[in-house]
Amino acid sequence: MKGPTRRSLLAAAVVLPLVAGAAAAQDVEITYAGSGGGLAQVMDMLFDKPFAEATGIRVKALATTDRVSAMRAMMQAGNPIWDVAELTPVEYATASIEGWLEPMDWDVIDPKGLQPDEARLPDAGIAATYSTVLAQRTDKLPEGRKMASWADFWNVEAFPGPRALQDSVMENLEFALLADGVEAKDLYAVLATEDGVDRAFAKLDEIKPHVVAWWSAGAQPVQMLSDGEVAFTTAWNGRLTQLRQEGVPVETIWNGGAIKPSYVGILKGTRHKKEAEQYVAFMIGDPVRGAEFAKMVAYPSMVKGLYDNIDPEAGREMPTHPDNLAGQFVVDAVFWARNMDALQERWQEWMLD
Amino acid sequence: MRTRLVPTLLFALGVLFLFFPILIVAPMSFSGDRFLGFPPKSWGLVWYEAYFSDPVWLAATWRSLRVATLAGLIATLSGTAGVVGLARLPRRWRAGVTGLLLAPAIVPNVIVALGVFVLALRFGSTDSEATLMLAHAAIGLPFVVMIVGAAYRQTDPTLEKAARVFGAGPLRAFWTATVPPLAPAILAAFIFAFFVSFDELVIALFLMGGSETLPVRIWNDLRFEINPTIAAISTFFVVVTALAMGLAETLRIRATRRQGNS
Amino acid sequence: MRFAHRLTLVPAVLLALAMFAVPVAFVFSEAVFTPEFSLAHFERFFSRAAYLSVYRNTLVVSAAVASICLAVGYPMALFIVGQPAGRRPLLLFLVLVPLWMSILVRTYAWMVVLGREGIVNGALQWLGLTDEPLTLMFTTGAVYVAMVQILLPIMVVTCYSAMTEIDPGLVRAARVCGASPFAAFRKVFLPLSLEGAVTGWSVIFILSMGFFIVPALVGGRRDVLLGNMIVNQVGQANWGFAGALAIVLLVSTIVLLGLVRLVAGRFLYSPREA
Repeated sequence: MKGPTRRSLLAAAVVLPLVAGAAAAQDVEITYAGSGGGLAQVMDMLFDKPFAEATGIRVKALATTDRVSAMRAMMQAGNPIWDVAELTPVEYATASIEGWLEPMDWDVIDPKGLQPDEARLPDAGIAATYSTVLAQRTDKLPEGRKMASWADFWNVEAFPGPRALQDSVMENLEFALLADGVEAKDLYAVLATEDGVDRAFAKLDEIKPHVVAWWSAGAQPVQMLSDGEVAFTTAWNGRLTQLRQEGVPVETIWNGGAIKPSYVGILKGTRHKKEAEQYVAFMIGDPVRGAEFAKMVAYPSMVKGLYDNIDPEAGREMPTHPDNLAGQFVVDAVFWARNMDALQERWQEWMLD
Repeated sequence: MRTRLVPTLLFALGVLFLFFPILIVAPMSFSGDRFLGFPPKSWGLVWYEAYFSDPVWLAATWRSLRVATLAGLIATLSGTAGVVGLARLPRRWRAGVTGLLLAPAIVPNVIVALGVFVLALRFGSTDSEATLMLAHAAIGLPFVVMIVGAAYRQTDPTLEKAARVFGAGPLRAFWTATVPPLAPAILAAFIFAFFVSFDELVIALFLMGGSETLPVRIWNDLRFEINPTIAAISTFFVVVTALAMGLAETLRIRATRRQGNS
Repeated sequence: MRFAHRLTLVPAVLLALAMFAVPVAFVFSEAVFTPEFSLAHFERFFSRAAYLSVYRNTLVVSAAVASICLAVGYPMALFIVGQPAGRRPLLLFLVLVPLWMSILVRTYAWMVVLGREGIVNGALQWLGLTDEPLTLMFTTGAVYVAMVQILLPIMVVTCYSAMTEIDPGLVRAARVCGASPFAAFRKVFLPLSLEGAVTGWSVIFILSMGFFIVPALVGGRRDVLLGNMIVNQVGQANWGFAGALAIVLLVSTIVLLGLVRLVAGRFLYSPREA
C-alpha cells in the first residue's frame, strides 16, 4: 500500500490540469511514435485533440516503422526523441528485455483499476488488440462445407482452392501446430523444444505447395480476397469487416486466431514522463472513448466495460469479444523476442527451399 | 519513310507497356468502391474529394514536391560541377572519388537511412526537412554523375579550348562551350534526381515520422488497406503533367507556325 | 586553372561524405566490430546455402533486368533521336510520364493485371487460349515485368542523352564515303552510343541490386533479393548482419561494374580521352 499523501498528490497531478485548464502545461509537447496513416487520423480525433484540450499538452504523432532499430539508436545516442511508443509484441518484448522502457506507475495511470491484471505490465500497457485470423471466401467453398479450423485450412482435398499465408515465421509455426492437433495452451511449450519446431516445419511442408502467395503488407490479403486471387488466407481482422460491408462474401474464422496486443510504453530517459503517463491514462482509461476507437478501427483495447458501449453486432467483429475469444491464443511476445533470429533464419531457408 | 512503320509500331508498344499500370489505375481512381477493383463496380469522384479535402494528404504532397525539387537541384548542381572536376583529377584519384560519388546508389537506402538517423540523433536534426533533403540529394548524386558524366565524355574539348584561345575565361569558356551540348543530359539528370527523392520511402520513414512525405503517407495507408485514394493521387499527377506538356507542345507548334507565316 | 577546376568537386564530395560515407561507415563498422574485430557476420553469410542462393538470385535478376531494359530501351532511344528535333521532347515525355506514378501504386496495379481473375487471364480465356487461369502473379516473371516497367524510362533517357551528343555529320560522312546505312550505324553510331548504353545498363543494374518492395509484393517465395534480407535485418535491429550484407552488395556491385567498364572500355571512344 502506498501512503495517502503520495496518492492524493499523484491524483492532483492528473486532475489539476483538468481543472486549471490549458494554462498550466501550455508549452509541453509529447511525441507519440505510432503507425501514421488513417490510424493516426482516428487517434488524433479521439485521443490527441481532446487530450490537448483537457490538459494543454499537445501530442505530436509520428509515423514510424523499424521501431526496434530506432529505439536502439536513440538509447545509444542517449537521446530518446520519442516519449510514448506504440509497440508490436516483438518490439515490446525486445524493448523490455533491453530495458528501454520506463516502469509504469499503475496507480497514476489506472487509479480506478479498469485495466485487467494481464494488461498491467510493469513497463507497458495495452492500447489495442488485433488478431491474425483465417478468412475464407464463402463463394469458393465446396457445397455445404465451411472451414472452421486450421486443420481445415490444411485439408486441401476437402477444401480445394488457392491459399495465402503471411511471409512470417511468427504465428505460422503456431498455426501449423494447431493444425497438427496441439492444444492452444500448449503451443509455446511445444515450440520451446527442437522437436516442436521440427514438427511445425514438417506440417508447413504439407501446405507449402498449395500456398500461392506469401503476403508481406497487411493490405495484400484483403486485396487478394477481393480480387479472387486466393480463396483462403490469413489476414488482420480489422479490414475483413469492411470487405464484408463492401459485399465481398468473406467470412472470418476466429477459431485458432492469433491475438496480438499493441503495447504502449514510455521511453527510458524521456523528459516528459509525467505527461506521457497522463496521455497513456487518457488513451486506455476510459471505456467510452475506447469503444469509440474500437468502432472505428476494430482494434479494441482491454479496458473493462468496453463491450457495454459497443452494440453487439459490431462487437462480434472484434477479436476480444467473449464470443470470439474462446478458440484464439495470445502470441507469446517474449518467446518470439528471444527466438526470432534463429527461427527467422530457418524460415528463410525453408522458404527458399 | 519506307521502313518507318515497324519502328513506330515497336516504339508504341514500348510506350504502351510503360503506360499499362496507368491505364489500369486511372479508371480505378474514379471508382465509388472502398477497395481497389478493376473494373470498378460503381463510379464517382469520392477519392479525388477525399484527397483534396484532406489537409494531411495535401501537406504530404507539397512536402514531397518541395523536398524533391530542392534535393534534385542540389544533386544536379553539385553533381555536374563534380563531373567536370572529376575529369581533371589524376587517374589514380579518379577511380576512388568516382566510387565515392556513385556508392550512394549501390548501398541500399535502408542502410543509409539507419546511418543518417543515428547521426542526426546526435546532432538533434531528426524530423527535419533539411536533413531529408540533403540525404536525398546524396542518393540522387550518382545518377547525375553517371548521366552527365556519360554525356561529358562525349563532348569535344576542342570547343572549350577554342573558346579559351579566343580569350574567354575558364568559367566563361565552360559555360558557353561545354554546358549547352550537355543541357539535355543535365535536364535528364535533374529529372531522375527529382524522382529518386519524390518516390523515396525508407529514408523518409526513418527521418520524417512527424511530417509524412507522400510515399510515407501511401505506405502507412497500404499497411492496413488499399483504398483508391492512392490511385487518385497518381492519376492526378499524370494528368497534370500531361496537360502541362500538351500546353507546352501547343505553344511550341503555334510559335513555329507564326515564324513560318512571317 | 587546373586547381580551380578541381575545386568544383568540393560540393559533391562534401555531400557524399556527410550524408552518405560517414553515416554508412557507422553501420559498416557494426558489421566488423562486435565489439572486437570479427568477420563472424561474413562467415554466417558465406557458409549458409540460403544466403548464397539469395546472393546469386540478386545478381542474376539485376543483370537480367538491366539487359532486358537495354534491349528494349536502346531501340526506343534510337527511335526518338531519329525524329525531327521538335517532336523529341513529346516522345521523351511519353516515356517519363509513368515516373509520376508511385512505385507502390504501380506494383499493386500489376496484381490487378496479372492476377488469376485479372486482365491478362481474362483476355487469354476470352480468346480461348486457355481454360484454366494461368499463374502469372507471385512468380519470377511478374518480378521481371514490374521491375522493367519501373526502370525502363531511365534506360531510354540515359541512352537518348548520350546519343544526342553524337555529331550526326559523322554518320552522314560515313554514308557519303559509301557505307551502307547498316554499316554506318554499326561502325560509327553504335560505338559512339555505347557509352550511354553501358551507363544505362550500369545504372539499372545498381538500382535492381537494391530492390525490395517489388519482389516482396509481386514475387513468389523464392524471389528474395539481398535488399529484402537487409530490410528484414534492420527491422530486427541486427545492424551488424545488415551492415555485412550491405558490404557484400557494395563490393560485388563495384567489382562487377568495374569488369563491365573494363570490357566495354575496349570498344568505347571518348574525344576527351583520345
